Amino acid sequence: MIRRPNQTRTIILLVAPAFIFVLVFFVLPLVFLLSQSVLPEDGGFTLTGYLDFFQSRVSRIVYLRTLKLGLIVTGICVVLGYPASFVLARMPARRRSFLMSLVILPLMTNAVARTFAWLIILGRRGLINQTLLSLDLVENPVRFIFTETAIVLGLAQLFLPLMVLPLVSAMENIPDDVLEAARSLGANRLTTFLRIVVPLSSDGLVLGATLVFTGSVTAFVTPAILGGSRLLLMSTLLRQKAVILFDQHAAAVVAVVMILTTLAVNLLLRVLRVQQS
Amino acid sequence: MVSRWMYISLVILYGFLLGPFIIIFMASFGANATMAFPPQGFTLDWFANVFETSQFIDSFWISLQLALLSTIVSLIMGMPVAYALVRFRFAGSGIVETVFSAPILVPGLVIGFAMLNFFVLLGDMHVMTGLFIGHTAILFPYSVRVISASLRNLDPYVEDAAVSLGANRLRGFMLVVLPNMQAGIAAAFVLGFITSFNNVPVSLFLSGPGVTTLPVSMLSYLEYYFDPTIAALSTLLVIFTVVLVQAAERVLGLSQFV
Repeated sequence: MIRRPNQTRTIILLVAPAFIFVLVFFVLPLVFLLSQSVLPEDGGFTLTGYLDFFQSRVSRIVYLRTLKLGLIVTGICVVLGYPASFVLARMPARRRSFLMSLVILPLMTNAVARTFAWLIILGRRGLINQTLLSLDLVENPVRFIFTETAIVLGLAQLFLPLMVLPLVSAMENIPDDVLEAARSLGANRLTTFLRIVVPLSSDGLVLGATLVFTGSVTAFVTPAILGGSRLLLMSTLLRQKAVILFDQHAAAVVAVVMILTTLAVNLLLRVLRVQQS
Repeated sequence: MVSRWMYISLVILYGFLLGPFIIIFMASFGANATMAFPPQGFTLDWFANVFETSQFIDSFWISLQLALLSTIVSLIMGMPVAYALVRFRFAGSGIVETVFSAPILVPGLVIGFAMLNFFVLLGDMHVMTGLFIGHTAILFPYSVRVISASLRNLDPYVEDAAVSLGANRLRGFMLVVLPNMQAGIAAAFVLGFITSFNNVPVSLFLSGPGVTTLPVSMLSYLEYYFDPTIAALSTLLVIFTVVLVQAAERVLGLSQFV
């Protein structure tokens, strides 16, 4: 560590430009947003915006649907990601590096491009409907677009990488010896996996689940394309209130509820981590 | 320990993650305008259509400029912050860290919405300025985190040696620290560029008449047309991303920073 008499000045000089930028252009707008949600244009402080939000049947349904789909997506990502992450973590470094760069591809591509693929797969004349029709399993095309299934599929593809990355880095650290010890002491594969691998990678699981859940409940492009205005989630509801209904007060309330939900989940993660250590 | 059904899970994982990209690829060459799958015939018309749609060309240049500018600015301003956080222990460093990781915790759509309302309050602001501010703010977490990680791998005594041999702090940083952080800076640049270039939620509210980013203009195109032009454009963008990500992964180990 460097110790110098005028260290404080140096630190201020280093941090100040970016700090002021974030304070003025990021923190201040959020404070203004918060004030908008409790101060409607005509009148003083009020919480009616929040009361209206939770009393309105539509917004309650949208909020609960958002949370529900978030949980389902997280569950799918755990089930699909856990065993696959273990295989990845046990691979030779070079092959793993190549496969990991493929895993992050959905995160790195344009969201509209990625979601458009699901329109082709799930559309009226899409891959699944053509298959079902040609196998005579259905008589008329099934509607998949604008359903919860479509949103869940799109979100799971997008956020699986956020589950796999922390899981793989947690599982990499499990020494081979520990697994071999368990096996030689008579544990079968399943027991070893459940009693050794799962507890030792729980950090990665909790982190991954938080990232997937918070990502799912705040994502915009996927629900906008695959749910549209017929099946709103919180993010598409926010856009509808702001752009179509021009109700900035109600939109601000939706935005604050979204922030609070994300913060609550992150706080829960911190509590879980403290308990573990 | 790794059993056969675990390998099957790996195949399912990759099929699910990458299958959709193969579908877009196939659809972009189909001759039908109706997006039936499997596509009939073969044509390159949709690719030609991408380059003839001025909406895409204009917004591509805006996205490119925006991504380059905001990534570079967030790196130049974020690097000193990372340096202060790694090299000095100071009161308030916790607050600094929280403030610089906050833009990743707040939903992008909320950031865009809050900024739009705030900018309206400030008075007339050029659309491009608003987009630039928004993108720079959301890139700080990436640049500060990636640069910090790469600084931590560098022995501080190397720098101290340069100083004790007569270089001043700034010269020591320029000649000793910076060259050793090339990989970290490049990784932060690639990550920042991709994040900005693909961003929809923040740009959505901040875009204005005539000034729209590529992903936002793709989204609005989709509201009116449903033809393989978007598939062709998506194919081009996916190829671009694959090349960039593969190169970055091979040279820099990008996935450890995501």
